Amino acid sequence: MRAKLCVILICLSSVLLSGCQTSRKIETASIIENVSISAEDSRVCYTFYILSSDDKPKGIRIPADSFGEARKLAESEYIPNLSLSKLELLLIEDSLSDRALESDIEYISTQPSFSPSAYVALCDRNTLEAFSRTAGGQRLIEEQLTLLKKNDPSVCVNYLSVFNRFASSKTKDFTVGYVTCDGEMKISAKKIEKTKAR
Amino acid sequence: MNKLRFSSKRFLLTLMLCACSVILLQNKDLSPNASFSFNIICMLCGLSVCFLLFVPSLIIKRRTGLDFLTVARVKTPSLRLPTAVFYSLYLIFTAEFFLLPYTDMFAKKYYSGVTPCAVALLLVLTCVYAAVKGVNVITRFGIFLFGFAFVTNALMFGGSLGSLDFSLYGFELSGGSGDFWRDSLYFVTPAFIAVLYACLSGATENFRLRQPVFALIFTGVKFALVLFFIFFSLGDYAGKQEYPTFTLSRAARLGSFGGIESFYLALATMSVFMIISLILCAATKSVKRESDVKYVAVFAAIIFSAHICGTYIDSVKEIFTSTGLFVILTAAAALVPLGYVFTGRKSNARKALRNTDMP
Repeated sequence: MRAKLCVILICLSSVLLSGCQTSRKIETASIIENVSISAEDSRVCYTFYILSSDDKPKGIRIPADSFGEARKLAESEYIPNLSLSKLELLLIEDSLSDRALESDIEYISTQPSFSPSAYVALCDRNTLEAFSRTAGGQRLIEEQLTLLKKNDPSVCVNYLSVFNRFASSKTKDFTVGYVTCDGEMKISAKKIEKTKAR
Repeated sequence: MNKLRFSSKRFLLTLMLCACSVILLQNKDLSPNASFSFNIICMLCGLSVCFLLFVPSLIIKRRTGLDFLTVARVKTPSLRLPTAVFYSLYLIFTAEFFLLPYTDMFAKKYYSGVTPCAVALLLVLTCVYAAVKGVNVITRFGIFLFGFAFVTNALMFGGSLGSLDFSLYGFELSGGSGDFWRDSLYFVTPAFIAVLYACLSGATENFRLRQPVFALIFTGVKFALVLFFIFFSLGDYAGKQEYPTFTLSRAARLGSFGGIESFYLALATMSVFMIISLILCAATKSVKRESDVKYVAVFAAIIFSAHICGTYIDSVKEIFTSTGLFVILTAAAALVPLGYVFTGRKSNARKALRNTDMP
């Protein structure tokens, strides 16, 4: 009898102490698949694309000065149940590479929830527009980046390699994937000069 | 004497897996200025010290076939209480040294919604069950864990092969004397297995000197492989992250197959589970000869209470996770048997202990 009572108490305490009451439920969580950074009216705009089965991607635009600020705004005002642990792709508009590439990737690299193997690429304005209109753009870009990496192993395609290139004193420049859209999506390597990016 | 004896080889395999958990839970313990080659040298120095700390209990085991606690109880009955108090406190400290980083990593890196104390409670309760079953059963579980660790490491290292980058990082030797002391001290932490060996080796048979040597060599190989992949696959990114081995498992990918961090977390959980189970066995043995569920429960309650204090009071957590303090206490606990090595002649010691009426 005493043993049974102990087991019941343990089960009850494990349920009460487990922290489940504060956890996000999967059906209510806003899982972010990818983020794009674009320049709009002299401001930087972070668009968070939420995972959904709709034909049109569901993107929420947040004007902010940095990724960290955009994330805080998203959590407090725009997307309450934000989950960034499944973020797979970060697209940065070419004109913002000097401003956002290093600082945002440095921010992401210090956060525990992000995956270091998530893809990063620069792109032109047309790609961002096409990306916001049709679903499936992310898969296409990821496939293209994988192919690019296979053909040219020196190209940096994820946070990990871009962050390490910026942190290393041995390299002055490096290349990242650059997506362009002129009817169809194409990918090439683009050189980043560290002095300019800073 | 205890008739239920099991292979010494199996016990040392279990201790080796416990030692490997040190690198699994590494969190900014190594100097950021030290290079890979420099860390390997520090590791060799640290593991050599570990072996030296093993020596007293190995001599006692070889001479008497018993563990240190039993020998101490027979030879110096008047020192029974101080020995029990010192080893109990040391073992509780060791349990916190591993439990706090594990729950912290679980809450920060894997599942941010969870309360660390809840994870600790469930783990300690499982360990109570294992400790009641005894060291023999825990070492059998060690065989399964060895297989699982092999698969996890193969996935983690195999998945990181593609991201190895030798253009940014090389094998040059760089690091100062401060880095050397810091890193060497960290690599002495696996010496806690010498204390566990001193406390629990009485129930083992077929002891050979090569067994602890191989255990430390395999531990060194595992450490070197993890360091190699952290340095050349993660690079500077690892320095920005807490728990770099977790990040290594997260970055590893075999084609489209990812999510190796789940394997890593399972391995870390089982390693910590095994350490705390063995600690509960050793703590019980330090106060009583036979395994007793009441004593195990009391030690588990103390460990859990200390964990709550460590979780909510930062200064307590700092003390429990201090590598320097842990190494000093480990060295003291591993060197206490040295006093019994130099007292009494070899032949007399064996005869006296064999003739002692023990349950």
